[in-house]
Amino acid sequence: MKNTDQKLTRQDLWKIFRGQIFIRSALNYERQQCMGFTTAMRPIINKYYETPEERAEIVDRHMQLFLTQPMVSAIPVGVAAAMEERIATEGDLDPSSVNEVKIALMGPLAALGDSLINGTARPIFAGIACSLAQAGSVMGPLMFLAVMAFITIGVRYLGVFEGYKRGVTLVTDMQKSGLIDKIGELASVAAFVVIGGFTPSIVSLALSDGLGYGTGEEFVTIQSALDGMFPCLLPLVLVLVVYALLRRTKISPVALMLLLMIAGVVGTVIGLF
Amino acid sequence: MSLTTALLVALWCTWGLIDEQTIQLQTTRPIITGPVVGLICGDLQTGLIVGATVELMFLATVFVGTATPPDTTLASGIATALACAAGGDTEIAVATALPVALIGQVVTTLQMTVVNVALLHIADRFTARGDVDSICKINKIALLFNFVFYGVPTFLAVYFGASYVQAIIDATPDWLISGLGVGGGMIGAVGLAVLLQSITNKKLWPYFVIGFVCAAFLGINMIGVGLVGVAAVFLHNYFTSARDEQPELGYEDEED
Repeated sequence: MKNTDQKLTRQDLWKIFRGQIFIRSALNYERQQCMGFTTAMRPIINKYYETPEERAEIVDRHMQLFLTQPMVSAIPVGVAAAMEERIATEGDLDPSSVNEVKIALMGPLAALGDSLINGTARPIFAGIACSLAQAGSVMGPLMFLAVMAFITIGVRYLGVFEGYKRGVTLVTDMQKSGLIDKIGELASVAAFVVIGGFTPSIVSLALSDGLGYGTGEEFVTIQSALDGMFPCLLPLVLVLVVYALLRRTKISPVALMLLLMIAGVVGTVIGLF
Repeated sequence: MSLTTALLVALWCTWGLIDEQTIQLQTTRPIITGPVVGLICGDLQTGLIVGATVELMFLATVFVGTATPPDTTLASGIATALACAAGGDTEIAVATALPVALIGQVVTTLQMTVVNVALLHIADRFTARGDVDSICKINKIALLFNFVFYGVPTFLAVYFGASYVQAIIDATPDWLISGLGVGGGMIGAVGLAVLLQSITNKKLWPYFVIGFVCAAFLGINMIGVGLVGVAAVFLHNYFTSARDEQPELGYEDEED
């Protein structure tokens, strides 16, 4: 052991921040992001631990299974940094508690990161960027890149620095205050509005113009009659049917995609679409 | 398609994957990869259209946990290059995007189950010695495999595919191309359904109706829907704060 009288400096935290970026570089199905987490802990190991035996213990601790959404994984990285600093400098913390805290954070944070960032923020901004790109403007993609860069760097910075500053209290605060549940509920609201609102742009499905009733100039296509009553009815029904299939059967999303491609071809051939 | 163009497209797609495995600026998404590959091929407009089309097909495909999603970087990169080679024909993009994405998905799974697990076992030997520096190196070496797994196939597909793409389009019957187009329009529903499934609080479904009515009946565009979503979140927070009888301001401070 060395430097046991020193706290982690801002410089050390920046090094941890840079290591955290590689959290999922070697994502593997055996222990997921374990190498990435160890990479993020490297500045601490180099600062406090000297002999191979000492190092082997802390490396082994972080080479255990870890998996959460990559951006928000910065929070457990920051919290673990605070705990490891305490273990090295004060020694009054049980080393096994580090992994307990990491595991406690994994699930809720994965749900939060997936639904908030991948499931809500990214589709919203990408959708907006698409409508601008379809009009031939590069502003859409540029805006998307800027916003997402801000989110990913911001979340990682806050995760490492705030996670370190608040340490374990952050974990208990989050659990006690019901903050995660609250954010989850608000994310559900946003996701529902956006999924409903994006359905007409993302899903296109219309009956063939050949289908209709009447003759000559009186000919009315079924699709235009539908649009008059209930616009985008077919895309809506399709989303709900696929949702029901996903919920009630074991069919995989990828198999459904392939089935829909086939349905598109078959439907075109028989003159339905 | 010239050698340089194919190489640049392959390099960009490799970078897209590396970005996804590191800082996640989202350059891997079709809405960025499409225009960039379009620019490389000298046809930005086609790139924008293909990028937007493929992005919308896969917009909502969020696969939680360890599930590997279809690979949209390869899909949009190769589709855009082929569309540019076909003189701006975007139908080819819709037809090729899903098959390429699924091949990419298999490759990604292979990478995580075989290559990265093998690397993990090498790293484990260094764990016993406490050699953290070597583990960090192995963690980064994993990124180099993207050149083999994604760079090489992309290069081959673009370099050799481009010369045949026109002939293939000409030989493909119209019903197949338009049928695949119809199918491409439908697969976005899968992503949306997966998202619906992932929502934790299903009792909030009326917000789905609000969003749908805004877009389908009122014709509000995606920016407008986003704003309605923001308003809904804040109103919901306001009304439920009274229910919880807890000051919400504290929560917001913690978020900052």
